[in-house]
Amino acid sequence: MKKYLTRMGDGQRVEMTADEMMKDFELGTQDAARRGKIDPLTQEDLNYLLEIFTDTNKIVSVEPGNEVVLTHDIGTLRLMGDQCNSGVGIPLSRIQGIGVHERAFAADTFELGHIDYSFKPVKPIISMEQQEMETAQLSAIIPLFYGAMPNLGLYYRPDGPFGNPSDLMPLGKIQEAREAQEEAVEHAIRDMIYISEKMFLAGADGINFDTTGAAGDTDMKATLHAVEHLKKHTDLSVEVGMAGEFVLGIHGALEYDGVRLAGLYPHQQVKLVEKAGADIFGPVVNTNTGKSMAWNLARAVTFIKACVEAANIPIHVNVGMGVGGIPVFETPCIDSVTRASKAMVEVAKVDGL
Amino acid sequence: MSREELFEKAAQSIVDANKDAAVEIAKKAIEEGIDPVDMINNGFSEGMSRCGELFDTGEMFLPELIVASDAMVAAINVLEQAMPVDSRTEKLGVAVIGTIEGDVHDIGKGIVATMLRVYGFEVHDLGRDVPIKAFVEKAKEVNADIVGSSALMTTTQVGQKALEEALKQAGLRDKVKTMVGGAVVTQRWADKIGSDLYAENATEAVMKLKELFG
Amino acid sequence: MGVGDPFGMPVAHGMAAGMGGIRTAGDLVARMQMTRKMRIKEAKAYVAEKLKVSPADLSNEHVMREIREELDLGIITAVPGCAKGIEAKARIAELLGIEINSVKRLKDKIAF
Repeated sequence: MKKYLTRMGDGQRVEMTADEMMKDFELGTQDAARRGKIDPLTQEDLNYLLEIFTDTNKIVSVEPGNEVVLTHDIGTLRLMGDQCNSGVGIPLSRIQGIGVHERAFAADTFELGHIDYSFKPVKPIISMEQQEMETAQLSAIIPLFYGAMPNLGLYYRPDGPFGNPSDLMPLGKIQEAREAQEEAVEHAIRDMIYISEKMFLAGADGINFDTTGAAGDTDMKATLHAVEHLKKHTDLSVEVGMAGEFVLGIHGALEYDGVRLAGLYPHQQVKLVEKAGADIFGPVVNTNTGKSMAWNLARAVTFIKACVEAANIPIHVNVGMGVGGIPVFETPCIDSVTRASKAMVEVAKVDGL
Repeated sequence: MSREELFEKAAQSIVDANKDAAVEIAKKAIEEGIDPVDMINNGFSEGMSRCGELFDTGEMFLPELIVASDAMVAAINVLEQAMPVDSRTEKLGVAVIGTIEGDVHDIGKGIVATMLRVYGFEVHDLGRDVPIKAFVEKAKEVNADIVGSSALMTTTQVGQKALEEALKQAGLRDKVKTMVGGAVVTQRWADKIGSDLYAENATEAVMKLKELFG
Repeated sequence: MGVGDPFGMPVAHGMAAGMGGIRTAGDLVARMQMTRKMRIKEAKAYVAEKLKVSPADLSNEHVMREIREELDLGIITAVPGCAKGIEAKARIAELLGIEINSVKRLKDKIAF
């Protein structure tokens, strides 16, 4: 039987038959359906995925007219940063980096971000960030977000003033760990609002809360409250992007609008993000490096399709290294990236990437 | 109450993280003459397995998992009184675990450490930003069976390779199993640096180590 | 989208599925999503109506280049005299009937 080139979740090239791929699509979609308690992909969806995977061209694309809007995380770090942000180390200023994205990469939107890319360290240098945003707004035509991670981890010892849940919980100090997290939430909300409001005054079009939930349900709670405040008190557009496919319960009992945050999957996350008032939601589905890309992408598309169907706001799925069905590999394999693009747009029906 | 009913109640007491109920069921099992080892394997351990599955699917969370593990320990303490000394449960292995120097991301590593404790390993968690030397010294000090390292970034991932070398130089490499994890780490990387184990997530880490040491 | 080197991630996604930024009407459609929470079809329909083209034309370089030049909305290549930066955004705000934060601030500052 004819074999097609495809990839594993770690990027290794493998050959699979159409039957083998279909089997992995089925297993992947069933895994998502079981975990998220959502519908698996239809046979029609699976057949279309197979068409995408058995296209022998290296690159695939959506049909003309199906294009979607792209929003970008990590700002210009991918140009001048180091490998941690997939940066290629070109010595450019951030303003130049924005110009490169607008005029060389034809980005639909872009964002300004700080080298640490977390809200907390921006507070003491907010004037510099405002100045940079003001200058960028003079020369940019595309909408510019200010982007940063809520990163509640920075509020715990040794980086912050509060006890670290990772240290406290193994000692059985669950109540103390929870109290430390609750205190961190309050401080993070204040910092995120302060920074966002200052960026609004500097002309930012929006704020991108990137990798929300990276430190668990505390991250999500702080973000939702900050978003709620910003949408009530400013005209900022707000994008909330996630860190993982379900909200980790590091606290476990935190709620927003009466809903427990821990354990929420994308189709449930989006309802709270909408409730907080955000304009765009960026769900994440993690890639399993030991499974094939067929398994991973079918699984990711299943979660995202359910999220798109549940949403009333635009969904910009996260499709970067190790998420959205794309392999975990520092030099993304173009065949995989473009297949994930096409599947997310034409099967999951996302509004953007 | 039948054996099967007691097993089920024991498992459920762990899933419910109900320490009092777990202890009561353990006492009841002794009264009814049920083999304590059977009670642990078919009842309480089954409950922990279910907790692992629920954690993996986001239906149970870290604090609950820790309380469930406390309930399990309390029940086992009761059952052990009715067991001959030589058949009492022992720790599955001694693990030294930490995040590689230069990397302050320790949430995932913390979950792995907690899960290992929950499932009966003795865990020495060195925390985040841990120098290679500290892994080696601790492994020597506690006579470790497992040395686990986590790296979120490709820039710190290389420290896992250095750890393999340092363990070899200290003459410990043949005595311990090494395990690597973290967002950017893959089976391919584990194979490349000669690590014994790679796990995609905390649940898989526990499953693989239980298979090796259980 | 997420992390990945420039060629491997933003360029690859842009080629496979992106609207095309200011080469076409990507920024305009994005602004409707950002300011009015419009889903992709609705946002495209809104912008298409304002530009009097079909939604499919919004990602057609041949159509959009001309429109952007005619309306002076800013174009991808460097042409002397064409609107740049905030000047282009002032026209975009007017065309789409939306408020653009930086444009509003500039107008407020220079209003006598």
